[in-house]
Amino acid sequence: MRKEIKIALAQINSKPGDKTENIKKIKENVVKAKKHGADLVIFPELSLTGYVVRDQIYELAETIPGPATRTIEAIAKKSNTYIIFGMPEISEKTQATLHNAAVLIGPEGLVGKYRKMYLPTHSVFEEKRYFRPGYQTAVFDTKLGKIGLTICYDIFFPEVFRLARLNGAQLIVCISASPAIRRAFFEILTLARAIENTAFLAYVNLVGIEDGLQFWGGSRLVGPNGKVLVQTRYDEEDFVTCDINYGDIKPMETFVPTLKDLRSELLEKLKNSAENL
Amino acid sequence: MFALKYLPILINNEDVSSLKLTPSILDLDWQDTSTKIKRFISNYVKQSGAKGVVLGLSGGIDSCTVAALSALAIGGEKVLGLMLPEEETYNKTDIKHAKLVAQKFSLKTNNIDITSTLKAFYASIPNFDPSDNLCKGNVKARTRMIYLYYYANKFNMIVCGSSDKSETMMGYFTKWGDVAADISPIMDLYKTQVRKLALHIGIPKVVIAKPSSPALWPGQLAEKELGIEYELLDLILYGLEHFMDTEDIGKQLGIEEKLVKSIKSKWLSAEHKRRMLLTMKLEYRTIGTDFRLPRNP
Repeated sequence: MRKEIKIALAQINSKPGDKTENIKKIKENVVKAKKHGADLVIFPELSLTGYVVRDQIYELAETIPGPATRTIEAIAKKSNTYIIFGMPEISEKTQATLHNAAVLIGPEGLVGKYRKMYLPTHSVFEEKRYFRPGYQTAVFDTKLGKIGLTICYDIFFPEVFRLARLNGAQLIVCISASPAIRRAFFEILTLARAIENTAFLAYVNLVGIEDGLQFWGGSRLVGPNGKVLVQTRYDEEDFVTCDINYGDIKPMETFVPTLKDLRSELLEKLKNSAENL
Repeated sequence: MFALKYLPILINNEDVSSLKLTPSILDLDWQDTSTKIKRFISNYVKQSGAKGVVLGLSGGIDSCTVAALSALAIGGEKVLGLMLPEEETYNKTDIKHAKLVAQKFSLKTNNIDITSTLKAFYASIPNFDPSDNLCKGNVKARTRMIYLYYYANKFNMIVCGSSDKSETMMGYFTKWGDVAADISPIMDLYKTQVRKLALHIGIPKVVIAKPSSPALWPGQLAEKELGIEYELLDLILYGLEHFMDTEDIGKQLGIEEKLVKSIKSKWLSAEHKRRMLLTMKLEYRTIGTDFRLPRNP
C-alpha cells in the first residue's frame, strides 16, 4: 500500500438524464487527471445521471456491475487510475428497488460500492421516494490505502464516518449533490468529520442548475487536522489535484486521540435513546 | 441562505426558535444573489435553445430589476421589454422609468398601446361590467400575457416573469396573468429584498422609491390594497416561512396576532393561484400529483 497518493477532485456539471454525455465527461476528466499524475479521480453524487431526474430514475438506474460500471472499468484500466463516482443502482433481485450508490473502480476492475444510508426527504429533497437506504458502511483496502465511501447527507450523521474510520478508512470520500443554501453547513461538517476521525476527507460536490437548484461545488480535500488542503471554485465546473500523505494521520491521532478515547458503552446508550426519541 | 443566518445562532448555543424578526434578517449578499440569478437566467436560456427573453416592462421596480438582471445575464440585445400601456392607467412617469432602465442596461423595447385590444374584449363580453375593477383589471393582466407569449412564440424567446415573493405569497396577482411566465427569477425574494437588490445592480433610485402598483385601475396602490406596508408584511411572511407561530410573530413585531393571522390566511388561501391544474386521481400516474418529471426546458 502506498503512503503518498495524488487525488483529483473532478467537480462536474452532469447533464440530467444523459448517461452517454456524462460518461464522456468522466472520461475527459480521468484523462486530464492522468496527465496531472493523479492516482484517484473523484466525481460527485449521481454524476452518471444528474441529480434531479425524478421518475426517469427508473429508466436510468443500472445494476452494479452493469453497463456503466463496465465502461468506467475500461477507462480506469486504460488510464491505470482509480475512479469514484455516483450512480443510481437497481437491485439485481428486484425490478424497481433502487439505491443511491457510490462506486469505486480501479485498474483491476470494480472494487466495491456503497449504498447511501441517509436519504434526505425534506425541503427540496425526495430521495426516500425513490431509493432504499443502504445498511453497510463501505471501506475498501486498495493499493491507494483504505478508502471509505459516504454520500452527501450522511455527513450530518457522524456515526457513518466513525464506522468507516473504525473499519480502517484513512481516506473518507463524501460525494455530494448539495444545493447552494446548504453550503455553510457542509463547510463546517467536512472539517468536523475529518478532525473527529483524524482522517483525510475528500468532498466532491456537483455543480450546475437542475430544476432551479444550484449545486454549489466547493469540493475540497481536508487533512486529518481539519486543514483545507485544496478547494475548487463555487458554482462552476472545476478540477484540482492534491497530494496526500497518510503519514500525516499519526501526529494528529496522537495529538487528538479520539479513537483511543472512544467510549463504546456510549454507543449502546445512543442506540437506546435513538429508538425512543 | 438561511444556513448563513442560522449559523451564528447555533454557534451562540441559542435555539433556532429565537429567530429575530428584524429588517436585517432579510439581508442577503446582494452580489452573490445577483450572480446566482444571472446564472439562472443564462443557464435556462441556453438550455432551452431560446434566442433571448421577453418580459413586460411596466417601469415598476420588479420588472425593471428583472429586465436589468436579464440584460446583465445574456446581453441587452437578447432582452425585449414590452411596454404595454392602456389609457385608463396610462402613467407617463412609468413609461419614462421603463425607458430609463432600458437605456441604462441596453435592452430592446417595444411600446404597444393595448387600449384598442382591451376595448374589443370588453365589447365582446356579453355580461361585461365596466364598474367591476377586479374582473376588468384581470383582463388587462391576461391581455398583457397574450402579447408576451406572442413575441416569445414568434421570436423563439422565453417569457421572464417578475413576480416577487411578497405578492406571490399573498396571492396579489392575476392567475394566468402577470404571473404567467417560463421562469420567474425573483420569486424567492420579498419586495424589500428586491429593493435592495435593485439598488445593488444600479436601478435608478426614483424607480425603487416610488410606491408599487399593479396598474390594473387608476390610483391602485399595492400597499394600500394589501392594507400593510411591505417592511412589516415581509417580516410577517418571513416568520411564517420559517414555521413561526402567529403569536410569536405578533409579539416580536409588536402587532396584534389578528393581523398576522389574516396575513397567514391570505397566504394559505391563495395556494390555488400558485399551483398548476388540480385534477382528480383516476389512473396509474397523474399529471400534477405523482407524475414527477424533471423540468427539461
